[in-house]
Amino acid sequence: MEALTAHLSALGHGLVTTVELTVVATVGAMLLGIIVATLRIAPVPLLRAIGTTYVEVFQNLPLLALLVLFVFALPTIGITFPLFTSAVIVIAVYEGAYLAEAIRAGINTVGVGQAEAARAIGLTFGQSLRHVILPQGLRAVIQPIGNICIALLMNTSLAAAVGVVELTQAANNVNLVEAQPIAVFTGAGLAYMLLALIIGQVTGLLERRLAIVR
Amino acid sequence: MSILKKSFTRRRSLALTATAVAVALAATGCGGDSGSSAPTLPGDAGLGGDGVVAQSVYDAAPVATDADIPAGSTMDAIRKRGYLNIGGSLDAPLLAQQNPVSGTIEGFDADMAKLLAKYIIGKPEVKTTTIGTQTREAMLQAKSVDAVFQTYTITPQRATQVAFAGPYLTSGLAVGVRKDDTSIKSVKDLAGKTVIVGANTPAVTALPSAAPGSKQIAFGTDPQALQALLQKRGDAYVQDFTLLASGAKANPGMKVVGEPFTTEAYGIGLNREDTQFKEFVNNWLKKIQADGTWAKVWEGTLGSVVEGGAPTPPALGSADGS
Repeated sequence: MEALTAHLSALGHGLVTTVELTVVATVGAMLLGIIVATLRIAPVPLLRAIGTTYVEVFQNLPLLALLVLFVFALPTIGITFPLFTSAVIVIAVYEGAYLAEAIRAGINTVGVGQAEAARAIGLTFGQSLRHVILPQGLRAVIQPIGNICIALLMNTSLAAAVGVVELTQAANNVNLVEAQPIAVFTGAGLAYMLLALIIGQVTGLLERRLAIVR
Repeated sequence: MSILKKSFTRRRSLALTATAVAVALAATGCGGDSGSSAPTLPGDAGLGGDGVVAQSVYDAAPVATDADIPAGSTMDAIRKRGYLNIGGSLDAPLLAQQNPVSGTIEGFDADMAKLLAKYIIGKPEVKTTTIGTQTREAMLQAKSVDAVFQTYTITPQRATQVAFAGPYLTSGLAVGVRKDDTSIKSVKDLAGKTVIVGANTPAVTALPSAAPGSKQIAFGTDPQALQALLQKRGDAYVQDFTLLASGAKANPGMKVVGEPFTTEAYGIGLNREDTQFKEFVNNWLKKIQADGTWAKVWEGTLGSVVEGGAPTPPALGSADGS
């Protein structure tokens, strides 16, 4: 236990960075997810192709490979982002692909009659999406979105590999001094569990408030 | 399919996707290639020597007598098993790096492990379990590995968890900078600078006291850290001086400045309860240091990038915690 309590400030900084990474990347991934899901159901074949390509590329490449490519390959063509920003962008882009599929599943639960009715009263594609399809579609997939957010939280630990000192890297550094891997990583694991439980609780709350009982 | 679009044949969409994915993959592939600047394989022209210890060194290495190995001891179990199970790395140049062509693991740590196997079993049969630096203590306590050869710095904190035979090698941290940098001449000039370190290396803990006010960024592997230095993500790279020397030989864009500013004593990690095995390993170290095997291994590996002959091996038990 001493191994943990003696380094609370280092671990605390790591925890804060993990939370920041998770929150910013989740917001980015949600925006990307909605945009890509919309592309995938758009009436224009080219847009659908772009959406499909995005999902297939980012779902089928490992996140660590994307992170290393983004951090080390981009500077060779003159583009260098700070490490934290790089991690946020890559995690948001990667998880955006998963969110897009969850959101598309939600959209597909909305009855065809809803879309036809929206068109019949003269709504454009964008209007029917905003006012009719998405509000119903998103409510159907609150749980899957919550699960992806938890996966995103866990995936932020990969940012340690590209120099971001988040919770996992902070635990590594503390362990380097204390040589108490079981205590240190159990502590870090409990912190991740707590964060995941919070996301789970919020998801449950949203689901009870918002889900449409059919 | 979706409710908002008209019919769209499945075959066409698949073909489109496949093409797009292929193009995207080709693009990322190219980026990756140009990202790593000419990786040097061990044994390539980048190193002075061939980085490999000659077979004759193994052939001449000592083997323990039956009297050294009492029945029921750890050594006896290893001899019956037929191979030594060690924890180590596969990606540490000059220390323990797997040759991608031949598949063998080369370097100082890897060769020491083979020599210990030869001493116990009679032939250099080693099974290497790649372990992270985070898990070494736990692996030794659980007896998942017989010994750890992984530039394992001997510290009093670690000595409460595991036993250290040795030290079998001493080294030190040094400072590497970009070739065109003239502002950094030693570790003292690092105050207030951004310094790249290897994650889970002694540099992480040594830097705050050696260069107060410096900002650290840590990368998982040595090639990544070198790349980060050349891409100006930091002003300097603090790492073991032998690793820096080999990096500077392979990368004309960087240089090593000043002398090593710490002394790291590396030990062979062993289970803490097994004092018999620790004594056995220490006796073996004494033998190979006395008969010149140790110096030959050093010259074949680390000696290929460090000028001057093999140093005097460190005295056993000289580090706090060994």
